[in-house]
Amino acid sequence: MDHRQQQLSHILRQFDDCADFTHKAFPELHADLLYFDHMVDSQKLYREVTAPILSASESELQNALDRLSGARMEADRDIVVAILSGSVALIYREQAYVIDMYNPKGRSISQSESETTITGPHDAFSEPVGDTLSLIRRRIKSSHLKCVRMKVGEISKTDVFLLYVADIVNMHYVDELSRRIRGIEIDAVHDTNMLVQLIDDRPSSIFPQFFTTERPDAIASKLAAGRVVGIMDGSPSAFSAPTSFFEFFTSSDDYYQRWSLGTATRALRFFSFAVTILFTCFYVSVTTFHYEMIPQNLLLTLSESRSRVPFPPVYEALLMELVIELLREAGARLPTKIGQTIGIVGGIVIGQAAVQAGFTSNILIIVVASSAISSFVMPSYIMSASIRLIRFGLIILAGIWGNLGITVGVAYLIIHLCHLTSLGSSYMTPVAPHKPGDWADVFIRAPFKLLKTRPSQAKSPNPARMKMKK
Amino acid sequence: MRNARWRRLPLPLLLIAAFALGGCGDQRILERIGFIQSTSYDLMPNGELKIAVAIPRLEAESNEKREVLSTTAPTSKQARIKMSRETSLQLVSGQLRVTLLGRSFAEAGIGNQLDTQIRDPAISPLMKIAVVNGDAEQLLNQRYSQHPRTDRYIERILEKEAGTHAIPKATLHQFVRDYYDDGIDPVAPMIRKAGKNIVIDGIALFRDDRFVYRLPPQDAMIFAFMRSRFKQGEIGINLQHQGAPREAVMVTSLVSQRSVKVSGSGPGTTVTVRVALDGTVLEYVGGLKLGKPKDLRKLERKIEAYVSGQAEAMMKNMQRAGADGIGIGAYVRNSMSYADWKRTNWRELYSQIDVRCKVKMTIKNVGKMK
Amino acid sequence: MVAVKEKLAPFHILVLIYMTQTGVVILSLGQMLAQTFGINGWLALPFYGVIVTANLLLIGLVYRMGRGKSIFDIMERRLPLLLLSPLYLLLTMVWSMLACLVSMEYVLIFQMIAFPTTNPVWFKIVIDLLAYSLFIKGIYTISKASTVFFYLTVWMYLFSSMLFHEYSWNRLTPFFFQEGDFALPGMSGIYAAFLGYELVMLLFGYVDRSAKLMKLAIWANLLVFVSYIYVSMLVFGFFGFGELREMQYPLIDMFAYVKFPFIERIENLLYGLLLFTMLATMAMYYWSANEASGRLFPKLKPSYRGIALIAGTFFVGLIPDTLAEVNEWLTWFGIVEIGIAFGLPLFLIALLLIRKEKEAPVHA
Repeated sequence: MDHRQQQLSHILRQFDDCADFTHKAFPELHADLLYFDHMVDSQKLYREVTAPILSASESELQNALDRLSGARMEADRDIVVAILSGSVALIYREQAYVIDMYNPKGRSISQSESETTITGPHDAFSEPVGDTLSLIRRRIKSSHLKCVRMKVGEISKTDVFLLYVADIVNMHYVDELSRRIRGIEIDAVHDTNMLVQLIDDRPSSIFPQFFTTERPDAIASKLAAGRVVGIMDGSPSAFSAPTSFFEFFTSSDDYYQRWSLGTATRALRFFSFAVTILFTCFYVSVTTFHYEMIPQNLLLTLSESRSRVPFPPVYEALLMELVIELLREAGARLPTKIGQTIGIVGGIVIGQAAVQAGFTSNILIIVVASSAISSFVMPSYIMSASIRLIRFGLIILAGIWGNLGITVGVAYLIIHLCHLTSLGSSYMTPVAPHKPGDWADVFIRAPFKLLKTRPSQAKSPNPARMKMKK
Repeated sequence: MRNARWRRLPLPLLLIAAFALGGCGDQRILERIGFIQSTSYDLMPNGELKIAVAIPRLEAESNEKREVLSTTAPTSKQARIKMSRETSLQLVSGQLRVTLLGRSFAEAGIGNQLDTQIRDPAISPLMKIAVVNGDAEQLLNQRYSQHPRTDRYIERILEKEAGTHAIPKATLHQFVRDYYDDGIDPVAPMIRKAGKNIVIDGIALFRDDRFVYRLPPQDAMIFAFMRSRFKQGEIGINLQHQGAPREAVMVTSLVSQRSVKVSGSGPGTTVTVRVALDGTVLEYVGGLKLGKPKDLRKLERKIEAYVSGQAEAMMKNMQRAGADGIGIGAYVRNSMSYADWKRTNWRELYSQIDVRCKVKMTIKNVGKMK
Repeated sequence: MVAVKEKLAPFHILVLIYMTQTGVVILSLGQMLAQTFGINGWLALPFYGVIVTANLLLIGLVYRMGRGKSIFDIMERRLPLLLLSPLYLLLTMVWSMLACLVSMEYVLIFQMIAFPTTNPVWFKIVIDLLAYSLFIKGIYTISKASTVFFYLTVWMYLFSSMLFHEYSWNRLTPFFFQEGDFALPGMSGIYAAFLGYELVMLLFGYVDRSAKLMKLAIWANLLVFVSYIYVSMLVFGFFGFGELREMQYPLIDMFAYVKFPFIERIENLLYGLLLFTMLATMAMYYWSANEASGRLFPKLKPSYRGIALIAGTFFVGLIPDTLAEVNEWLTWFGIVEIGIAFGLPLFLIALLLIRKEKEAPVHA
């Protein structure tokens, strides 16, 4: 058996029992094509490989092969890896060529389901990393946009790309991030949100330490702000780092609206954050311990509605919060149309009936519903989920110690947040460390002429982002 | 991190410690407490206190809007214990809005009672104090068919009337503050039962903690002019002299400024209270033509004369009763040195000094008609 | 993880010192002033401000002479550890006991107001754990958390504007300092309200020399001074001297007077939020105690030492169990701490005069 036969059978043995594997042999030409049919662009394959080979005479064949855009490879392992990542391997006599024909049939670029906006671009990343990269490159047409490729996962061998804009990014973050990603030892990674948990500063924290989004415009702005961006094949979301707690309160369409509206929207988000975590537990605390805080006009209504409820406020509140979470989770799992039914069943039937049956007080329904709605105001789903979970802890604390319980909980939360870092930089930037220069772009959305510098957290060597006068 | 294990110690311990407390006894769950909204104090002839408390009832099944408990006991806290035997609710005073002092009780001095109320951290310093001209328990216990929520009715009356300065505001804080201040005596509104309603019956003036003098309702506005500056009020004045044709005026939207000047010393002390009034005349019966500036000036002079005359007469009465409800003492004190003030027997001096009232009335407009 | 050693930024130093200085004492400050200095006692505060500033200048001298070196390094380079260990022990004890007593006082006040029958030990345990979780993370996290706490509490001052209509200059009277008892415990108690600034001595190693540490400390103290004078002037004019003298926590009563259409009795929020300032004070004292104990037992891990400090003071803190006793203890420890605040810098200056500190290359 010659070397060629040996190589071929070796490769073929690797793909034993792979029913989706395609092996086309051209014995008269001493050529073999190896590929996965569903991963390659079959038209391109015909146009660029099959047709030239078949039409070429034996003598021209070598030339035709040299013209191919592929690379020559020697090691069997490399060839196998290349086939797995969507290349076509052409084995001709003693040589093996590998031509990248990767074109998986992903869904087309569509709107983001989880991060919709009213104004601004509507496209969102989709799973194939090529689409994602192209969406980013289309937005930042600069050769300074650099892209580092890494593989993660012993089995999955997932492509991970780190993107940054040279001269704007602080290379310390790029190095640190690639060091962490290379350090991952795991069998498979399935989504960006999973990837970032493997490289968190503090994996045990409840808070996300990387900003993930599906929106290409958001990612482009993060790149321009001097942050590092990571994308992963097979995941429609990209992450950016370093990030801060307050970044999760911003959304890219803040910038597409007039600044006053953007500012008002941000204020609304901070307000909704307070409502989400504090409203229900304050209800519990007041009705359990601090009845004297209730104004007289509210007192009678409140105690009237409480008078038929058989449980203490803390159980009542936990129960209703649980019901809301059930509704949310059920709604998220079901198709949109059925999800709407769930909303109606939950909102009207359970809410109304629970009050009528004396199961909960109607004030609590209002409280729980408004805090649930507030939690959905948060642009980042991951952050909103974290906050909703924290709320349960605070409700329990409020049920035990009233206002002191809430303050103890909030104090612990603050201590935790202050200790948290994202890529080694403080999570509470720009409040702690104190960077008032950033506030114009965090707590409000000032007019663009005031947003002249990049966020300090990015520690960009080139902090000025706008030189426009007036 | 080397000692990550110890660093994370607090969270689980925090939760355990918190859960250990699950069933603690300091809960005040809303529907299980009877929040006292009003309370009343009367002095019985045998020296015991008659105390009543009113708590709202919220059961949808019953038509009763409130529950009134009353009992007699030597002290208020003892009475509380007695009363709580009668009710299924836990009595708490954090929502106490009004304290009604029976006339008998107020006349005997309320110092101990004040001490109890201010010592209790649950009681709001915003709680209103009112003196009942008669029996406070009866007033509280009465069923007013037009006002099923009696406690709120009482509170609203006091609040509304204080808003137009027909009666002074008297919260627990203000009362106690004036009680402790050596330059002023506390005051409180006075109410009484009038058939199916409750009616404001003037102002109760205290001397230290003792009710000593009732200012009739018609003097209430004059009292307000003398006591402090304010922005909202109205006064009806009868300018008719004996034998003269009818003449009366109603001044609304009053803005009153006050300044106090002290001159002289010892028994020769003269205190001049200057009051500047701004207001609108919306009702006038009499011979003057309001459209004429000259007549308007004339009306202003008449009002000034009336107010200062009334004020000085009122002051005489107050001096006789020894109640310094408008705080003349503070001005006299502040005009002296510390040693002089301590040497002075203010109570004695108060009855001797000469209090003058100078009024400057400005009618800003006379309504839509000339 | 490459830990970037971060230095404290000027603003954080300012807030940290401010938050360390303000604490639960603010609740009773007006009463203490009335009791000790009598009528218009709030006018005594400027004297305190001046004394504290003088003390800070003294510490500043140490900072300058020691060329920004840690005070422990200054001492250890001149004296053997054996000689210093009693001093370190004293510092550890006093600082950790102060932290413990401050929280004990807070807990007892809170208990009086809201939880009359609950065993205060539970609150104490939880607050100690909270303080532990803060101070063990080091000065940088303490300063960051203090900044957030600062923002969460500072707006309470805005509520006081709703009390202006009950304020009367008349009640202040033109008399000064009559009827005060001028007792030492009262005087030192008021001084204790300013304490916390002396811990700036321990920040020497943690700040850039460019940050003008002492200037910031003086500014922070000024801020404390202004807030104290504002609050005490307010209570003097709000209650009048006669009543103020009889009260325990005038600030609580004053805030109970604030009322909104949707919420009443703001004092319930006030003492909840006071936990934040108290926590900052407590964390700083425990942290300082832990720094000092670290010099005694350098081999022990900081977290073990921290646990030992918390546990030790916790049990000692159980001995005084009424508010009055805790106040008494606080007075005595306050006096010792005042001694430390003046004595330690003097001692350090003496050491530095004996042997000068050489300018060392700036090093993190």
